[in-house]
Parts: sequence; C-alpha cells; structure tokens
Amino acid sequence: MGALRFHSFAVMPLTPPLLVALRAVLDRLIPTDEFPGALAAGTDDYVVRALLGDSARELPLIIAGLARLDALALAHHSPASTFAALRPVQQDELLRSPEVAGDPFFHRLVDLAHEGFYADPGNGGNRDALSWQMLGYDPHGGADRPPTSAPATPSSR
Amino acid sequence: MITRPAHLPSGPSPDVIIVGAGLAGGILAGQLAEGGRRVLLLERGDHLPHEAIPGDHLRNHRLSLYGDNTSLDPAGHPRVFVDPTGREHLVPPHDARHQLNAYTVGGGARIWGMQAWRFHPDDFRMASRYGVPADSSLADWPIAYDDLAPFYDQAEHAIGIAGDHFGDTHAPRTRPFPLPPVPRSPSAAWLARGAASLGWSTFTPPLAVNTAPYQGRGACIQCAQCIGFSCPTDAKNGSHNTLLPRALATGRCTLVTRAQATRVLTDARGRVTGVAYVAPVSPGSATLASHTVHAPLVIVSSGALESARLLLLSSSPTHPHGLGNHSDHLGRHVQGHYYPIAYGVLPPGVEQTLTGPGVSIATTRFNHGNPGIIGGAMLANDFVKLPLIFWRQSLPPDVPRWGLANKRAMRDLFRRGIDVRGPVQEIPSPHSRITLDPTVRDRHSLPVARLSGTTHPETVRTAEFIRQRAEEWLRASGAERVWSWPPELKFSAGQHQAGTCRMSADPSAGVTDPFGRVHGHDNLYVCDASLHVTNGGFNPALTVMALAFRTAAHMLRSA
Ligand SMILES: Cc1cc2nc3c(=O)[nH]c(=O)nc-3n(C[C@H](O)[C@H](O)[C@H](O)COP(=O)(O)OP(=O)(O)OC[C@H]3O[C@@H](n4cnc5c(N)ncnc54)[C@H](O)[C@@H]3O)c2cc1C
Repeated sequence: MGALRFHSFAVMPLTPPLLVALRAVLDRLIPTDEFPGALAAGTDDYVVRALLGDSARELPLIIAGLARLDALALAHHSPASTFAALRPVQQDELLRSPEVAGDPFFHRLVDLAHEGFYADPGNGGNRDALSWQMLGYDPHGGADRPPTSAPATPSSR
Repeated sequence: MITRPAHLPSGPSPDVIIVGAGLAGGILAGQLAEGGRRVLLLERGDHLPHEAIPGDHLRNHRLSLYGDNTSLDPAGHPRVFVDPTGREHLVPPHDARHQLNAYTVGGGARIWGMQAWRFHPDDFRMASRYGVPADSSLADWPIAYDDLAPFYDQAEHAIGIAGDHFGDTHAPRTRPFPLPPVPRSPSAAWLARGAASLGWSTFTPPLAVNTAPYQGRGACIQCAQCIGFSCPTDAKNGSHNTLLPRALATGRCTLVTRAQATRVLTDARGRVTGVAYVAPVSPGSATLASHTVHAPLVIVSSGALESARLLLLSSSPTHPHGLGNHSDHLGRHVQGHYYPIAYGVLPPGVEQTLTGPGVSIATTRFNHGNPGIIGGAMLANDFVKLPLIFWRQSLPPDVPRWGLANKRAMRDLFRRGIDVRGPVQEIPSPHSRITLDPTVRDRHSLPVARLSGTTHPETVRTAEFIRQRAEEWLRASGAERVWSWPPELKFSAGQHQAGTCRMSADPSAGVTDPFGRVHGHDNLYVCDASLHVTNGGFNPALTVMALAFRTAAHMLRSA
C-alpha cells in the first residue's frame, strides 16, 4: 500500500475498518475466478491513491457509502456482522441496494475499480497487466511482422 | 523603442508571425520558410518527443479522465461551458465539455487518429444543394472543391497519406496516394461482405500513416494504442514530423514554445503590427514575462476555438468587438461532428485482431443523396480499442456493470465487439458560439472562452438517419446483436472544432476572404479549421492541411 505510507493516521481519513470494507467491496466488484480479480491486481491500492489524489473530492462520498454498507450489514444480518465478514452471496445482495437506488457512491466506486483494473499497469491497479493478460491485450503488440496491405480495390468499381 | 525578447534570435525581425504550431501552423511555417520568408512560430504548448507523451490509459487524448498526455501544465486554463438549459459550468481542459483538441507542437495531429479525408465536392455547396433551413447559418463555401483539389493532392504527398486510389472515389483525384492502404482486418472483411449484401460499396479509408517507410521515417508497427497517443515509430504523420522540421532546417524559422499569444497588436489606425505573448523569460525558465514582437504579416492558427478567442481578445478603439468581427460572425457557427455509433457483437469465428490503427473499412454512400435528409456522413469501423474504453462504452447494455458477469463479458466480448460510426455533417447555427467570459480569467488574467448554444436541430435528424444506417450495416453483416443510442441536441465542437472565422466572398457574410485574409485587413490572416464554412461529412484535418497549403501558396505568390 504505497499510498498509505505517505499519510499518517492523523490525516488518513480511510480508517482501518473502512479500508477493510473497501477491499471487501472491490473483491465483489471484480471477483477472482479462473483469472485474478481486483485485489490480486492491486486495484485497492489504485482506488485509495485516487481517493487521496485526483478524486479526493469524492472521498467523503465513498467514506459515507462504505459506512452505510457496514451499517446495513449490521442491521440486516444476525448474528451482527460487518460487510466484510458476510458471505459473498450476502455481500452481492447487499450491494444491489445502492446500485438499484442509483447511489452515486456505488456507481463512482464501480467506475474507480474498473478504471484501475483495466488501465495501464503504470496507474497501479492492474499489476503485471493481469487484466490485459486475461483479455489478450498488449499495447505494444500488434503485428511483430511488417504490415501487409490489402490489395487496392480493383478499378472496375 | 522595441527591445527584442531574449529568446528570439538577433538579426532582422520576422516577415511573418504564425500563432500556433498546430497542424495548419506547421504547414504554413514549412511552406513560407522554404519560400524564403523569415518565420516566427509561437506555440503555447511544448515540443514533445515521443518519450514525453505517456501511454497513460486514464490521461490521454482518447480518454482524459483526470488529465491528458500533452498538456504538461493545464492548471489555470479553464473554459466556461453553458449547457442547453443555460447552466454554467467551469470546466478544466480534460473535461469533455472544455472541447480541447491538443495544446502541443503539432496540435491535435500530434496524437490523432490519422483519418485524412477529402471533403465531397457537394460539401462546399451545402446551401445550394439543400437550401437554408430556418434559423441555421448553412452557407456555401466561397471556394469550390476544384479550387482545393490541387492542395489536397499536395497535402497527401507532403504529409504522407496511405489510401485506396481506386476505391476512394467520392472526390475526384488525379494521382494515387503516395502510400498503400492499411491492411484490412478480418472484421473489416466481414463488414465488407455485409455492405456488399446491401449493395453498398466500401473501401479502405485514407490514413496519414506510413504503411511503408516514407520521407526518412519507418513504417507503422500496428501497436494497439495508436489514437490518442504518440507513435513509437513516428509513423503517424502530421505537420510536426514533416513540414515543421523542414521549416526549422531552413534556418529561417524560429519556434518559440510555451509562448501563448495574448493579443494581435494594432496601431492607432487599426492596422495589424505584431503580436503580444507570454513566454518564459528564457527557455526552460518557470518565470513568465510578457513580450511583444512586430512583423508586417500575422497569421492566427490556434485552432477554431482559440483563434476566435484571440481575435476577440484583440479588440481596440478601432475594432471594439474584436478583429474581424465587423459583421458579427466571429466566434459563431461553431461546428464539430456528431458521431453516431452502432455497436455489435461479432459472430463466432470472426475476431478483432487488436492491432492498430484499426480503421480499415469505410463507405461514403451516405454522405449525400439521402431522401429528406440534409447531408450525411461517411461510415467506418473504429480504432483499436483500449480495454478501459471497451469497458466504458462497448459492453451490451444488459451486461451487469460489476461482478463476475461483467468480468466474464469483458473476457468473452473484448475480441468480439465491433462498432461502426461516422462524422455527421453539421448544420451550423449562429447561436453556437465562443465568446469571452465576462468574469472568469485564465492564469494570464485574460477572459476565458465561453461556449454556448447548440447545433441546429437538422443536425440531429441527419445523425439519427446515420445511426440507423450504421445499425443496418452491422445487422446485414450478421452481428449477433446490435444496439445504439439516439442523438440529442447539444453543443458540438471537440476535436473536430471548426467554423468560428468562416470565409466569405462578401465581407458582410463572414470573417475572412476566400484566402483566409481577415476582411478589412491586408496583413492579418486566419488559417486553421476556423475557416470551414461547413465541416463536411468527414474528419476535417486533410481539409485544414489543404487550406494551409493554399494560403501559403497565395502568400508566396502575392508578395
Ligand atoms: C485524439 C484525436 C484524434 C483525432 N483524429 C482525427 C482524425 O482521425 N482525422 C481528422 O481529420 N482529425 C482528427 N483529429 C482532429 C485534428 O487533430 C484537428 O482537426 C486538427 O489538428 C486541426 O488543426 P488546426 O490547425 O485547426 O488546429 P490545431 O492542430 O489544434 O493547432 C492549434 C495550435 O495552436 C496552439 N495555440 C492555441 N492557442 C494559442 C495561443 N494563444 N498562442 C500560441 N499557440 C496557441 C495550440 O497549442 C495548437 O498547437 C483528432 C484530434 C484528436 C485530439
């Protein structure tokens, strides 16, 4: 967590419980299957860094949303549990309520997560180009042979 | 007594000052310097080598979520965008509403998509062909296709365009392109069959890319980033790697970067005498200073929005509403291109190759002659897709936006997504404008551009027609599914911005004469996309280039 080292706890508004909730949400937004998901790719690092940098204005929105998710989890599950401690199906079900409600917190977090995961590794959320490997995308790739040209259209047309 | 800024060479003062080293500015500099003129080229951006333009997928000119990759210091340069409901928004350069092209040596073409189209002959006579819709400012150009044809030809060879001479027949041409067309991808071959089944003819579109080594630079290696980025083999052609180096090689052209013109200077009688600009006190210095420089000839080539802004900023007692604004046309008729897109999924067995540039099939069947519709658009397939852009734009609308289903859809569809899109010829409106904002100022304390109004509603009708043709093409080709979104009335400028200093034969009908000379001035020219009376149903840059060659030839002839 490069970003965390920069910020002392006094100015780090994403408290440890909120970070736990954030990671749990990211793990459901881009889960692991045969291919690595958000956490393996370091997308949590990217999101934290974005919220302390370019997207700092949205930090309060995200903090409030994460806190609401934990509150929902505590209220609707017995024994009482944080969002992170729920089972994946329960987490997915819980995430559907802010999604359906059009909660800007949720939609922004969905965008941030996928930005990190599918952008270039230099942005920190797509470690080792894991998502690009999954897609078979290589920015430098293309033709490693000299390009061949399609024949020009015959003049008869 | 005039003192010369320290960053300018000693010796005689320039014969001509060009404001903006973008696509048109670089061509003018090359032609005029080779023609013996001493040229001072002022550019607000940097002269960026390839390594200085990051391959950042969040900050580039195709997707600029948090910044772009050519504006090294964008702070302090906002614009005010007035939305169709009248609400004002203060927008930074990377916000789409700012309508940024690119502020760097080379202009937009430093990182562009390279589609290098001639306009259709009828694009120059839209009012004659279709009549003038009420409340629109649709007009004919004061020049015809035939006037520009020799300069299209000159641009194609001097810049380096790869194209299909026999297939590309919408505008008459006299000799083949200097470079063979880009390779046709399997999905483009699939689209060609679909078009043929509808009776539509297709061909490989013209691109400003070295499909083979040309003019001392290597060939395209078909990397999968391309548009929005700098080219790793410098095979992406613009004026920055052709005419501008030629200008500098003459020893008669001085390029000053990080130099933002703030005003075109006039004397007490209103005659243009030079340019005022802000630039570092010495190259590389962070300290800025104001300078003035004088020359018998000034050419404004700052792109459609900033050229109009500079002329508005240059008001004086003799020209209280700005230079060239005698007939209230300056800054009006802003145009760009509505770009309707139909998305689809390729059937099993057809895959995207994930190689650049990607655009390799087009049809010009719907540029004109569409029943009940004014104008139309060229239709083509898209550039190679970046994964994040695919995630944002190209997944079918019913795919969940997150979770396993989203991840699987990315995996399944990334190589099977296809889209067809086209630049719609817009019907200009005098109410679509750039003016000076009365309150917001940039970091040099100059009023920023204020963008307001919308295109004419006829543009939306044409765009809707073109959207349906794009869908029809994908369906006929056998796409598994097809979807798209209807166009809405909006302000349109963006990367294809044009029209703010329209040419006219009659001084009461525009800003410049048919050569780009500002009406009422004998030594002030505009030369860039601002001049376009209408913006064609094609990407505009080859027309910008042809006009620059024509203006330069005119200047060399007349003096
Ligand atoms: C990502 C991208 C893809 C594109 N793809 C295509 C394509 O495929 N086909 C096509 O036809 N077009 C394309 N375009 C558009 C094309 O780049 C423009 O049409 C073209 O660059 C316009 O040329 P211009 O000379 O009018 O302005 P520009 O090229 O924008 O040049 C204007 C120059 O003036 C400078 N300037 C502005 N204000 C000042 C000032 N006050 N003082 C000093 N300098 C100033 C700017 O920094 C800039 O360098 C694309 C653009 C982008 C950004």
